[in-house]
Amino acid sequence: MSSVKQSAGWELRTQQVLLPKSGFESSECEDVIGIDEQNCRFAVADGATEAFDARTWAQRLAENWVRSDSALTTETFHEWVANEGAALHSAWNQLTLPWYAEEKAQKGSFAAFVGVELDLRSESPSWKAIALGDACLLHCRHGALLKSLPLSNSASFNSAPMLVASDPVFYKTSADSLVIDSGRCQNNDLFFLVSDAAAAWYLERFEQNDFLDILRDNDEPDAAKFFENERSAGRIRDDDIAVIRLEIQQRSIS
Amino acid sequence: MSDPFSGDSAHKKAEFVAEVVNHTLHDLVIRCTKTEEVRNYYHVAVLGYGRQVWSAFAGPLASREIVPIADVADHPLQIKSSYKRVSDGASGWVEIPVRFPVWIHPAADGKTPMCGALARVKQLLERWLAEHPRGFPPTVLHLTDGESSDGEPFDIGQEIMSLGTDNGQVLLFNCHISSRRAPKVEYPTDESLLPDGFARTLFRISSPLPSGFLAAAAQLGVHTVDGSKGFVFNGDPSSIVQFYEIGTSLTGMTPYRWMDEITEPE
Repeated sequence: MSSVKQSAGWELRTQQVLLPKSGFESSECEDVIGIDEQNCRFAVADGATEAFDARTWAQRLAENWVRSDSALTTETFHEWVANEGAALHSAWNQLTLPWYAEEKAQKGSFAAFVGVELDLRSESPSWKAIALGDACLLHCRHGALLKSLPLSNSASFNSAPMLVASDPVFYKTSADSLVIDSGRCQNNDLFFLVSDAAAAWYLERFEQNDFLDILRDNDEPDAAKFFENERSAGRIRDDDIAVIRLEIQQRSIS
Repeated sequence: MSDPFSGDSAHKKAEFVAEVVNHTLHDLVIRCTKTEEVRNYYHVAVLGYGRQVWSAFAGPLASREIVPIADVADHPLQIKSSYKRVSDGASGWVEIPVRFPVWIHPAADGKTPMCGALARVKQLLERWLAEHPRGFPPTVLHLTDGESSDGEPFDIGQEIMSLGTDNGQVLLFNCHISSRRAPKVEYPTDESLLPDGFARTLFRISSPLPSGFLAAAAQLGVHTVDGSKGFVFNGDPSSIVQFYEIGTSLTGMTPYRWMDEITEPE
């Protein structure tokens, strides 16, 4: 485990919502949330529905990345993905698969990924994020959107994003789309890590100057119901939903 | 692509069509594969017609007419093995092993009893729709290389198109193929370019392409517009391939572009 990136000066409030597509079991959800508060790393991965074993690949990406100390530069991320992909393919090789599953497995698996690492050790805390695909990080201050990556407007989402591939041959074709960014945080700053459907919804609200911080005023089950209702009403596309909300607060000195 | 229709060989034509149909079934299975399971997003029937009308499935499925796609996946007649070259993601190519399952054999058998074949289609649809009244309506992909030898197919075509589910009417798409060097007409919106009465009849019993199919055509670089009918006349081999690709691409079911773009065309 890496060094603790939190400090006595700053407090981090973490909330999350994870919903499968309507009518699906939570075990079928291909969005995965990774949280390691000790390591101050948070990630969302969204397995591509038509890919082989997409949920497992998304799990590996989100859950292993937050525990890692590396994979925050282009080179280290590429190397980390290659290792994770090799481990996944090695697990598949132990299986006896029917011809269609074998064929699908040959193409590997695919997922969108976004991860952020916060450094709250100094008086001026910072963040560094890495993303590939259409899962997004939104950085907000005083109700305004400061930054959204890798996509920045609600019209940018389509059904064929570049994704993190488990097979290095396919990964090479998307690696150039990797986005890495960093910045400073202030007291009461918010971060949202969201999969595509919810990201489009958040961005649309910002574009309409109608940002709704549903997790600030509701507990997680109520927020989940809210997102379900938005989806039923057609305001969020019928897809898995993953949201991590991070709120940074300066501890009061007593 | 070499012209499999050259020399007017009915057998070569049948071989090509069987290859396209087997490839289409293979593609449907892969689209419905969710890790180790094939989900029954489709039920499929394949009919052939010549001296008679028959279910074209061979092997373990020979006695069945409408088959859930998971059963299609699990019961091919034969699986052939080969290698396919795909991009290595840089500037080279790598060979990967591929398997080609086969479900139907080529068959060429003289006459063209189109009315009888369409009547059999109607019968199958009526039975299936009684059990599946909800959801996306069935799509009929009708491929013919000649004029009907048992009468005018207009009425039976209309009867098929009048069937439906709570989500819409049955989609009937027709593709006429020809070895002659006559100009082909693909996905027209009106009859003005059609050469004769038979072509106009097929046009009239062809459904307009819904938006998801228009999008699939655009992806393949096939020109269509709102109002284009699922109809090809005097089609060539590439018309057949595109006809099946467009006709089986429901919205949301098309493979991600990454699956196709980096695969070398065969």
